[in-house]
Amino acid sequence: MRNIKLFIGLAGLLFLLNQERSLAQKPIEVGGLAPEIELSTPGGKMVSLSSLRGNLVLIDFWASWCAPCVQEQPELKKLYAKYHRPSQTGVNLDIYAVSLDSKKDAWERAIKKLDLPWTQVSDLKFWTSPVAKTYQLEGIPFNLLVDQKGYIIALNLHGEQLDQFLSKRVGK
Amino acid sequence: MVLRKTSSIILGFLFMALSWMTTLAQTTAEPWTDSELKPTKELADQINASGKKKPLIINVGPQAVIPGSLDAGPGSEKDNIKKLEKILSAQDKNREVVIYCGCCPFAKCPNVRPAFKVVKEQGFTQARLLNIPKNIKTDWIDKNYPVQ
Repeated sequence: MRNIKLFIGLAGLLFLLNQERSLAQKPIEVGGLAPEIELSTPGGKMVSLSSLRGNLVLIDFWASWCAPCVQEQPELKKLYAKYHRPSQTGVNLDIYAVSLDSKKDAWERAIKKLDLPWTQVSDLKFWTSPVAKTYQLEGIPFNLLVDQKGYIIALNLHGEQLDQFLSKRVGK
Repeated sequence: MVLRKTSSIILGFLFMALSWMTTLAQTTAEPWTDSELKPTKELADQINASGKKKPLIINVGPQAVIPGSLDAGPGSEKDNIKKLEKILSAQDKNREVVIYCGCCPFAKCPNVRPAFKVVKEQGFTQARLLNIPKNIKTDWIDKNYPVQ
């Protein structure tokens, strides 16, 4: 009887420890599954990251108040023009842009001014956004490349490096 | 020979003047001094302490994250600077005023400089800029300091 109680006690303790571990944040690293994001577009439609599965997805964390992020957008547009080809067979690049804006009009104005054609989402919570915590953001611009199955294949590539990586993955 | 000596003296002086000017430029580049930078912990303690006289806290960035802070909005925009001037005009000049942004490191922040200049120009004796070297997430939220 005493053994059974001890066993139940130990099993309970192990269960609790395991719970705690699963609650702890997993590091964001190459090889890991990109945590799900589901946020609203400027039009109010909820779009999830997983809805883009099957494509090579660049998750771009940016904001209209972040000067280097805004400066990078024309470059991303060039890459998007080069590697986004959904009608063709083979790998297709898509972009899922998560904004850390806090004011909707500023966010919308920036998208319009820069004329960005890809998915735009935000919870308009600035640095208090839970997504910033999940993705352990330390600063923006920050991006991740996710493969067709949702696994992270590259972290924070910009400019020429990003182009080269994409050209290897998508082909010319 | 004399000419060479004179020219080397002149060159020496020029070099000294140049290095002095560079140091001057470095020390006067920011509108705040080191002692005007407010440590985050100090502000968090002031907010958490009950009954203590609180400083006037003003957000000059994209969002007012700190509890009790007034929202002037990004200091890079003229309308927001006017808003800031209005907030400040009703205040005791000896009250501690802490402004913060937290969008990005100071070097890249377009908001803190114009805003801090206004606080100084209005003659506040205790003008402070919250010392957020990286951003409000890593230097405030991640440290579990109070958030509204």
